[in-house]
Formats: sequence, structure tokens, C-alpha cells
Amino acid sequence: MKILNCPLNGPRNISEFACLGEVKTVPPPDAGTADWANFVFTERNAAGLVREWWIHIATNYVFIVDRDTLTEETIRTYRVNDPLLSQSLGPGGTK
Amino acid sequence: MPFKLLRQGFRRTKALDRILPVQQPLARNYDVIIIGGGGHGLATAYYLAKYHGIRRVAVLERGYLAGGNTARNTAIVRSNYLTPEGVAFYAESISLFKTLSIELDFNIMYSERGHLTLAHTDAAIRTSRWRAEVNKHLGVDSELISPDEIRRLCPQLNLSSKARYPILGALYHPPGAVVRHDAVAWGYAAAAARLGVEIHVDTAVTGIIKDGNRAIGVKTSRGTAHAERILQAVAGSSSHVAEMAGFRLPIRTIPLQACVSQPLKPFLDPIIVSGSLHVYVSQSSRGELVMGGSTDPYPLYASRSTLEFKEGLMAHMLELFPFLAEIKVMRQWAGIADMTPDFSPIMGVTPVDNYFIDAGWGTWGFKATPVCGKRLAEMIANGRPPKLIEPFALNRFQRFVQIGERGAASVGH
Amino acid sequence: MTHPPGHRLPPPMGTLIERQAPLMFSFEGIRYAAYTGDTVASALTANGISVLSRSFKYHRPRGIVSLAASEANTLVEVNGVPNVFAERHILSEGDCIRGQNYLGSLSFDWNAWIGAFGRFLPIGFYYCSFFRPQGAWRFWEPVIRRMAGLGRVNVAAHHGYYDKAYLFADDAIIGGGAAGLSAAIAAAEKGRRVVIVDENPVLGGALNYGRVDADGMRAGDERNRLLARIKTFSNITILAGARCEGCFADNWLSIVQRQRLYKLRAGRVILATGALEQPAVFRNNDLPGVMFGSAAQRLIRLYGVRPGKRAVVLTANDFGYGVALDLADANVDVVAIIDLRHGSPGGVMKSAAAARKIRIDTGAAISEALGRGTVRGVRVVRIEPDGSAGAAFETINCDLVCVSVGFAPNLALAGHAGGRLVYDAQTAMHLPTNLPAEMAVAGSANQHFDLDMAIADGSRAGRGPQGAEQFAGDHSAYGVTHPRPLFPHSKGKEFVDFDEDLTVKDILDTIASGFEDIELLKRYSTAGMGPSQGRHSSVNTIRLTARARGKSETDIGTTTPRPPYSGESFGVLAGRSFDPVRRTPMHHRHLDAGAQMMVAGSWLRPAYYGKTQEADNAIVKEVTSVRSGAGLVDVSTLGKLEIRGPDSPEFLNRLYVTGHLKQPVDRARYGLMTDQTGTIVDDGVICRLAHRHFFVTATTSGVDAVIRSMYLCNAQWQLDVDITNVTAAYAAVNVAGPQSRKILAEVCNDIDLDKDAFPYMGVRVGHVANVLARVMRVGFVGELGYEIHVPAGCGEFIWDRLLDVGRKWGLIPFGIEAQRILRLEKGHVIVGQDTDGLTNPLEIGMGSTAAAKPFFVGGAALNAHAQRGLGRKLVGFKVEDGSLMPKECHLVIEGGEISGHVTSCARSAAVGGIIGLAYVRPHQSEIGENFTIRVDGGRLVSARVVTLPFYDPTNERQKL
Repeated sequence: MKILNCPLNGPRNISEFACLGEVKTVPPPDAGTADWANFVFTERNAAGLVREWWIHIATNYVFIVDRDTLTEETIRTYRVNDPLLSQSLGPGGTK
Repeated sequence: MPFKLLRQGFRRTKALDRILPVQQPLARNYDVIIIGGGGHGLATAYYLAKYHGIRRVAVLERGYLAGGNTARNTAIVRSNYLTPEGVAFYAESISLFKTLSIELDFNIMYSERGHLTLAHTDAAIRTSRWRAEVNKHLGVDSELISPDEIRRLCPQLNLSSKARYPILGALYHPPGAVVRHDAVAWGYAAAAARLGVEIHVDTAVTGIIKDGNRAIGVKTSRGTAHAERILQAVAGSSSHVAEMAGFRLPIRTIPLQACVSQPLKPFLDPIIVSGSLHVYVSQSSRGELVMGGSTDPYPLYASRSTLEFKEGLMAHMLELFPFLAEIKVMRQWAGIADMTPDFSPIMGVTPVDNYFIDAGWGTWGFKATPVCGKRLAEMIANGRPPKLIEPFALNRFQRFVQIGERGAASVGH
Repeated sequence: MTHPPGHRLPPPMGTLIERQAPLMFSFEGIRYAAYTGDTVASALTANGISVLSRSFKYHRPRGIVSLAASEANTLVEVNGVPNVFAERHILSEGDCIRGQNYLGSLSFDWNAWIGAFGRFLPIGFYYCSFFRPQGAWRFWEPVIRRMAGLGRVNVAAHHGYYDKAYLFADDAIIGGGAAGLSAAIAAAEKGRRVVIVDENPVLGGALNYGRVDADGMRAGDERNRLLARIKTFSNITILAGARCEGCFADNWLSIVQRQRLYKLRAGRVILATGALEQPAVFRNNDLPGVMFGSAAQRLIRLYGVRPGKRAVVLTANDFGYGVALDLADANVDVVAIIDLRHGSPGGVMKSAAAARKIRIDTGAAISEALGRGTVRGVRVVRIEPDGSAGAAFETINCDLVCVSVGFAPNLALAGHAGGRLVYDAQTAMHLPTNLPAEMAVAGSANQHFDLDMAIADGSRAGRGPQGAEQFAGDHSAYGVTHPRPLFPHSKGKEFVDFDEDLTVKDILDTIASGFEDIELLKRYSTAGMGPSQGRHSSVNTIRLTARARGKSETDIGTTTPRPPYSGESFGVLAGRSFDPVRRTPMHHRHLDAGAQMMVAGSWLRPAYYGKTQEADNAIVKEVTSVRSGAGLVDVSTLGKLEIRGPDSPEFLNRLYVTGHLKQPVDRARYGLMTDQTGTIVDDGVICRLAHRHFFVTATTSGVDAVIRSMYLCNAQWQLDVDITNVTAAYAAVNVAGPQSRKILAEVCNDIDLDKDAFPYMGVRVGHVANVLARVMRVGFVGELGYEIHVPAGCGEFIWDRLLDVGRKWGLIPFGIEAQRILRLEKGHVIVGQDTDGLTNPLEIGMGSTAAAKPFFVGGAALNAHAQRGLGRKLVGFKVEDGSLMPKECHLVIEGGEISGHVTSCARSAAVGGIIGLAYVRPHQSEIGENFTIRVDGGRLVSARVVTLPFYDPTNERQKL
């Protein structure tokens, strides 16, 4: 059982959390169907560093996680408005 | 005792026939390169060589032969899907499976056991009826049966109405079968190799060579090779390889775990699945109970095991079979599944010319191995997808079109 | 020295048995004597029984090999439970033990003929035959399948009690031998919380049974010294008789102690798991009576059992000479020590053995064990310079062969944690590499066999941090492992894998067939796939493969060890099966009223009130009561959410397809929610209680997903809203029917219930029976009705009061079944029944005006769906009275093709006849169109599309 460090609740068993998907750039509201479909369906799904939305189920606290999907290592967790989030995710990563 | 065994027994001093081929150096040019030496890739190579006369085919496998999900799946074969396109597709797969041992001259141990999908809620009863009706309409043997009929087929099940999730009925699919999964891949590999297909193991693809928007070859850990057409069939690495080719997929990659019990004398004939309890179980011909459940809760490319998977699965196993409490789990493992938004695969052309894809098989790729091989070979030979696999095109998502298996796929084995 | 009768040795041998407490048990139906503390294996050996089971494939007689619960040989049936290790089960009075996998009796197995036909069953024989002609496998499979498996399942077995507990430790030390105890002491001295886990009933590991010096005293002395020191620490917890079965991410350990699963989270894990002796491969090396030296030592010291009368020791290290000394001390006649090594290597133990005049043959090996059923002798050969067996030079009679030719460090747990095992050609053992940062290996698991070195290595690991001090490795003679104890025989039957009955030839044939990769070899030959998971076969398989392929063992690699280490029972993993049911505050009122409860998500809800055999009548009665008088339904399971803050209208307007930006205060609106793909995921009622305050209901099973998506959306949008899930805080009822206003008026005097003052879809806050309540006038069932939400603690009270005052107006409770019919008559959809995993709002006739909204979740998708046009449409239909009744999910057939399906169908008294909802193709959806439904038995029924709602089309009744 992995431990995930929640910015609100501290380190907890990962079974207390749910992954809500990759952090993606939202298209402008007037974007076309193809852009929206791309946003909704297409995943980077990297084998390596990813940036994702997670929620702590018991407290409904939503935050952001950088982790490595090859090693299952958590790199860092962020509050949603953490200024550090403006930094890129590292090699091959997107914001 | 079959004659072949007697013959082999008496000439035991002679060398055995080699089943798998000796690996050759990688050539510079092929007609077709298939990335991924799992069941789908090997089957495609076989059908290309056997029925389309395309024999300059190289299958490239990163690890050992068929060591990905082909080696890790729980080997259940069925065609009781919900959508007409799904049913038609898997029905063809079953009919190919039935004659596959003879086709490949290798016993894949196709064992028809009957497949029971238990319904514990009235919503599950409705879905079961829907699947049964669609199946029957398309000539596939399925029916919604009552607890009394379930008792007749599997008297060991806990059919008490006092259970936490009482069994209200089941979708019964007599053709449901288990197959020796490794044997399918080995059989295709051996038969393809006899026809001249080259199989390269320990050969990792590191890049796709393109000329403009046209794929013309691959870079590998063992050198570069060119080909007229390229197919990627790499469950568990689909997004990664597609990225090399220059496009992205609607796929999330998630582990699916399974485990087996110690070997037991046969007591369970049918394959039992419960969507509400997230359990599926069958007893292998070795006597082990082969058990699985739903996919892991978050994306991952690591095939590690978790304790909580087993804890949940066993609690539910004992709901169904309370008398197994003292039976022991012997081994657990994981495969890496590529999940699509609509629980349906992606087959066909890609944004890159001459580059075809077979991906998104989630947790049910094994049961499609023969039909995939046959139809993908047809596609590669003709340069366009046959009608049977047209609905599964990658570009369906661009138009917000999804295939309707989503409704019935909570546990899709 | 005098000995007790039979095979027992006098004290101090037998540290685990209580001689003053004898007991009786039965094996194969015959009663035997044992002592308390005996295991099945020790007691049977003491009674002169060496055959415990029959092997998997050839049904060969099998007995003890390791006495460490490591191989399938000793799996027996204990009191009806199959596959129990004989050396692990401690006997109780009256235990009933049976052998496994035989036809007839354990001593005469009718299936033993298979062994004689081995030459006709080459490795993988089933892949190459049995399938011609087409369908032949159908005949052969049951034959082969019947032979498979080991234990027999008792389908009447009782499901006992199991539980779980959590533990936390700074340092978890797996293995309580010399290294583990030393590590525990070193860690405890640093003030860390330590847990020691050991699978044996007492700590001490090999110090309890092994011999580490010539006179055989030191092991016990060291054990006593270490255990005395351990006792002085209050920060050491001991879990004895507990097996660590798995090591998962972030040092999460599964530990099984009897019927309990401990889940231990450790800061660091120190594996002091010891090393497993490995077999030598020679003909008939599986005969009962051929066992590891350490197994004989266990029998002697732990159980006071003399393992045989005349022994031959096959060894390649000083450990084996210690075994010979132990045997000699136990009055076993050690006729020869066969040492695989050339020359005269060896240490103090060898000198001691020589001093006792025990015959020692160096540069020799056993080529074959002789005997039927049990070992009667061995054939001894010289070892040729190339390492192979030469010609036999002597046959020695014996009834015991002790094999001590080397070890395999027990590193399965390191493998679970992601460590890789690399073969070290220097020591002929595997080294752990790539270990997680917070894991260390110590003692013989780390190739330190000499006692002083094992203790020092344990202390090093215990002090931590890992790797601070480097040890040079163990170069003593004690724990040497022979690099190739493999002696193929021209007549075969040299077993590499006992579990799977695999011989040298099987492995070589597998390689010759092209299955060269160690993973393929495992899968084709099944080597290492039995209950011992390759603990005694994996290393020799690798050595054999290396030789056959002309590669080094390091190049061959190894298969990945997978959990569990030894086998966890289903029951212990499941525990107490904690799967709670949610009950509404009025649950017991429903039971008192005779309700039949049904599962609804995690909840239980009343289906109807009355006996099951009178279900139809009960439901009709409830429906009629709502239509003619009044009914009361418990809707507490609805999801309930509070949305507060200045941005709450904007928030809801983005989340729902429906419009809520300009929703007036004190008004309720229907809310329909889709996901980003435009698929309907939930619906509910959205009440605006105040300018900045909404109260939202969601479906019973959908609320968790709804609230999760709300929190995610707001994390992204950063609107000024607060979202609270108050589902469990409120009880809710719906009082519905033409009399409902009069009933409510009896208990509510601060809300003006006048039909204009409190119109349809109005929302009010006031008191109902003096309880502060939120009251909304909604009409899911199509009658005048009020949904009343009160604090959960008042649920029973409100329920009672309403029924009490409503009795004179004919108020009765109604359940889900009646509600389903009532809402169907009104044409209301149920999300999840009338919608499926892909239904978009347009298909159910909603959302067509949503295009005007600036943005909402699923908006882009809905536009795409609208542009593409509909593929199907949900319609209301009626079926001719007297025709067969369609069931939900029966198909709509057009021109022989599937064109849709029924989602809801019921007989309606209010409308008259059979009504339903169905998906049909758009061209079939016009009012008055006829379509065909295929019902049970394949019969076709004609249905006609009608206007919705079926009942009260002008909505007069809900506006009363």
C-alpha cells in the first residue's frame, strides 16, 4: 500500500484517495468539436512522470500530484494554487 | 493414449522437434513489421503468411516471447457482449478458437465450461436480459437463468437469499471457455515461423522512422529495419509506442491483478463472474482456481502486486463460496491494461500513413486473439480495415462517438 | 546412552514437545500416539512413517525434504482442510489426517502406473497431442483434468472466524534467528520501535536446531544470550508463529498469525529470513528418507525424533559435517559422509567428524538412491574432473540420506518489494540488488553463514542506515554452496522440481524445444509453479539451463518471486468481510410494517410492504392509495448537497445541462447532469433556498460520483462556492396523493400551503410536526405531493407523525416498486434504468435548449451529438391489452434487425393496459407509430408510440 502525502491531511494510505485524471490544458470555450474531443478523450498517459488531479475521499480535498508511473514513486504533491505548479514537470512533461 | 505420444516415447533417443524458432539477425527490409510479440502480433503474422502470402514479416518483442498480457491473463473466452458489433466480432473469435489446435498443430486446450455472469441487483438482471436478447438475436447462445437453474449448473455457489448480495439470476453463456493462454501464442509463433516469419525477442523498438507522414521503418535495440507497413500491437505500452510514431491515444494504462490458489481436485466446472462483487473465477486444468477482479484504482506501468487487491477479492470469493475459507492463495501477479473510454478496442489506421494500430484492449484482449490476427492481417494486406473492425477506428472519438459496451463492462471478463 | 522406545530421543532433545502430555491422532484411518507440540510430520516420523503424500504427476511416494513447510511433498489433509503442510500443523487430540493425491491408498496408489509410462509423457506432451481429430480434446481433457490438483475441497466446510489488525514499527525484522535477534537488539538500543516476525513458534531460528561448533553447545548458548537481551527491551514486540507473506509498496507487510492478518507499516524492513537448503539432483532423489541435513536436525532437536538408523550424509560444506555429528549424537549410525568437493577442504566440524572415525569420501557423489517406497541405500560414484558423475564404485545400505550441499538465501520478500536477485558465481548463490531504500538484508539471507558473521551482519543492519559498513563476505567453510550439485542419470528420475515431478530430461527437453528463456522455460515445463513456488527447484533449474545453453547462471537470470511467500488462506485475506449496509433512519419502521427490503447501492430500501407471495397485490394497493388518497415513501437515500457562496448559481449552471443562473429563490428546478462526453450521469432537484444558497438532491447511487466531480470542477474553476455532502444528515419523505395537502396541514402551521402561495416546484422552510424542515412541492409520482427533509434524528418521528395524522385520509407507506410504476405512468425517467452508459440528453428529449448556455460540462459533446443527429430516441409506448407483457431490456425489432430496446414496462391500472419506455430509431418515434417488441419465447408484440406522460397529460393533478 503506497502512502500519498496529502497537502491538507499529511501522509495517508493511498486507498483513501482517488485519482481524477491528468491535468490538461482546457480549450477555450469557443474551441471546435475536434479540440474538445481531443481534450476529453486523449491522454498523454506517460510511462514516467505524470501530473494528475487527486482527491482525498474522506475530506473531499482536491490537489495535484506529480508521480512516476514506472516506479510508482510520488515526486511531489501540491495545493491547487501552489505557485510551484507553474514549473514544468521535467523531461517530456507538460504543464 | 494418442499415437503421437507412443511414437515419441519409443524414439526418445532422437532430438525433439524444436517448437520455437532460433532467432535470426534482424534484416534491413521487411514487407511488414509488427511491433509486439504477444498473441495479437503473432497471430497477425501467422495469418499474413498463411492466407495473404506475405512472409517477409518481422515480429519485434521487447522482452521474452508473449511475456506481456498474453502470459498474464486469465484465459477466459466468450462472446456474450452487449453491442451487435462486439458480439459479431467475438463470435468469430470463438469459432476460430474452436479449430485453432488443428490449424496450428498445437494443443491450445480449448475447454468449453459455460460462463455464468451472476446478477445481484435488478439492474444487473436487466443488463443480463439485454445481453441475452442481443446474443440470441445474433445467434450466440446466451440466456438469463434463475437461481434454481444456477444451482443445477454450479451447486457449490452460495445461493442463500440472506447473503449480503443475494444472487437473483445469471446470464448463462454455454460456449464460455478457458484456453491455455501461453499455448495460443506459442502455437501462432511456431506456425508463423514455419511459414518464414521472423520472431525477434529481446528487441526493443526505440523509434519509428518516418518519411514525412509515412512510417517507413523502426529503430530497435538490435539495429534498424524498414518495412512497407507497420503494425503496433503492444498492450501495456500503446501510448508510449504511439508517441514514438507521433500521435496520442485515448488510453489510460492501469494494472489488472490476478491470483491462483494451490492446486485442488476439480470441483468447479463453469466460469463464474460477478459484476457487482468484482470477481471472476475458473478452475484450470491443473486444478488451480484462477481469480481476478476489477482493475487497479489508478494508472501505472508497474506490474507490482498489492495486498488490498487480494483482500477485496477474497472477501467476495467467500461471499460466493464460503467453504473455501481455508484454501490458500499461491501466487498473485499483474498485467498492464490499456483502458479506453468506451471499454472497446482501437483497431485500424492511424494519423500516420502505413502505420496501423491494435490497442486499447483493456482487460479482454486475449479472447480476441484469433479474430484480431485474422482481420488485422486482412487490413494490412489490403491497406484498409475490413468491415468487421470498422466500428473500432481510432477517429471515432474525434466525433464523440463511443461504442456501447460501456454499460456492461464493469467487470469485463 | 539409553533411548525411549521407537524413534524418540531423550531430553534435552525435543524442545518443542511436552512428553507429559501425550495425545492420539489418526493418519489414513489408523490411530497413532504423539506428544503435545508435535507436528503431523514429526509425529509420523516418530511412528516410523515416511510416506506423507503422492506426487503431482507420477504419483510417486513422497516424504519430508526440508521440514520447513517448503515443498508440496508434505501437503496433507487435516480435518477436511486440504493442502496443509504436515510440518506446520501442530497436532491436537483426535486430529484426522489423510494423505493426498492417490487412488486407493497412500501405500498403494492405483495411479502410480503413470510413473512407469513417464517416457510416453514427455514434457509438454499435452501441447503436442490429444487434439486430433477435431473435438478430441473434449474427450481427453476430463481424463487429464481428473488427475490434476492435489487436495480435495470440502464443499461443506465451515467458514470460521478471521480478523485483521494493524501494526506500526520503525523497524520490522523478518526472521528471529541469530541475525534477526542481533538486528533487533541493535535497533532497540537506538530507541526504535521494533517488531520481530518469525514463522516458528519460538524465536532463535537455526540456533534452536543447528550445530555451529564441534561439541554442539554453542548454538543453544548464543540463543539464550540473545533472547535474554531481547527481553530487556520494552520497545521490542515479538510476533512468533507469524509468517510474513508479502512485502508491498512503502514497506507494507502482510503477516499471518493463525486466523489473523496483520498489516504492518514499517519505517525500515530488515530481512533476516535465513537461507534454504537446496537439493542435490540424482536418480530417485525424491525417495522418502532423502532429506536435507537441516530437516534431520530439526527432527532431532525440536521434536526428539531419531530420523533414521543408518545414515549417509551427502555434503559440500562444514554444515553437513555438523549434521553428521548431530546424527551420531542421536545414535544414528553414520555410515559415510560423501563430500562433493575434491581434496580436503573443511573446518572444525570436519575435523571433529574425522576424529570420531566417521568414514569420509571426498570427490564423490550419490548417483542414485535405491529402494521402493523409502530409501534402502545409495550408489556412490567418483566425480569426474568435468563435474559429472563417474562410474559407481560402491553401494551403501542406509535408511536415511541427509543432503547438505548448499543454500539459497531466502529472498522472496526482497523480490516482492522490487529487489532483483542476481546470481553470484563466486558463492553460487543469489544476491539481492536494487532493494528499496528502506530495506536491508542480514545474516544467511545475506550469505553470512558463520555465526559470528551472521550476528555482526545483523547488528550492522539493525544499527542502520543501510550500507554504512561493508562486510567482506563469509569465507568460512560452514555455509559453502556447491555450484552444480547435478548428476544426471541415464535412466532418469533425477528430480529438479518435486512439486511438478520435473526431471533433468524435462528441463533439457524444454530448452531443446526452443523455450530457452527462463520465463518461457518456467511456463512450458511448469518448473517452479507448484506450491513451493520454486524454493527448491529454481536455482538448480537455472544451473541446468546455464549448462545446457553454455551461458553463465547470471546471464540466465531468474523469474520474479511473487507474493504470497507461502500461501495465505482466503479467509485470512477476507477477514470479517466488512461490507456495511446503510439503513435510513426509518429502517425499523419499515421492518415493523412488514416491508421487503431491497439493495439499492449501499442502502437497503423497502421494495413493498407485505408478504412476498402477495407482492403483486401489495404493490397495486400502494399505487392505488397514492392515486386515490395518499402515500408516504422514504426517500432518505437521495443524495443531498448544500451549495453555498456568491458563485453558486454560476457553479450549478456550469455543472448541469439545465439552467440555474436565473433560478428564483424559493423555487426548485429539475437538474440534469452529463459528463464531458455528454452522457447522462445523474439527475435531481435543485432548490434555491436563498440568493447564495442551494440545496441539491442527487440519485442514491450517483451522489458519490456527483460530489467528486463537483469538487474536481471547483478545484479547476476556483469559483467562490462551498460544497457540503449532507446526505446522511437529513431524513426525507415524500407524501404524495390528492390528500397530501390536508395531511401536511395537520402538522404544519408556519407554511402557507395554499396552492398559489406554495405552488408546484416551490420550496419552503418551516416546521413539520415542530421539526424544522425543508419542504419542496415536487411531483415525481405525478400527484400533488411534498418532499420533506428533516434532520436525520427526527426521521422516525416525522414518519410516525405523518402516518398518524394521515390515517384518516388513507395514508399508507409505499415502496420502490410502487414508485417505479407511478413515475412510469408519469413518464419520468430513472437515470441508470432508462438511460445507459452512453445516453445523451437529446435522446431522452432534453437538453435541446442547452445550446444557448455559454458553457457547461458536456456542452461541446452535446453540440457534437446534435450535429450528428440522433441514432435513437426514448419514447413512451402502449401495448394492446391481452398481449404478452414485454420485460425490461426486451429488444425492439425492425426488419429483422435490432432497432432498440425496452427500458421500463409495467401494467398500469390508472392508464389502463401495459405501458413502457423504449429506445427506438428516430423514424419510429413519431406519436402513433407502431413498432415490434420481441418478448420471451421469441414472440413478437406490437407496441404503439404514445404521448408522454401516460397519466394526467396536462399535469393537472400535481398542480392541484
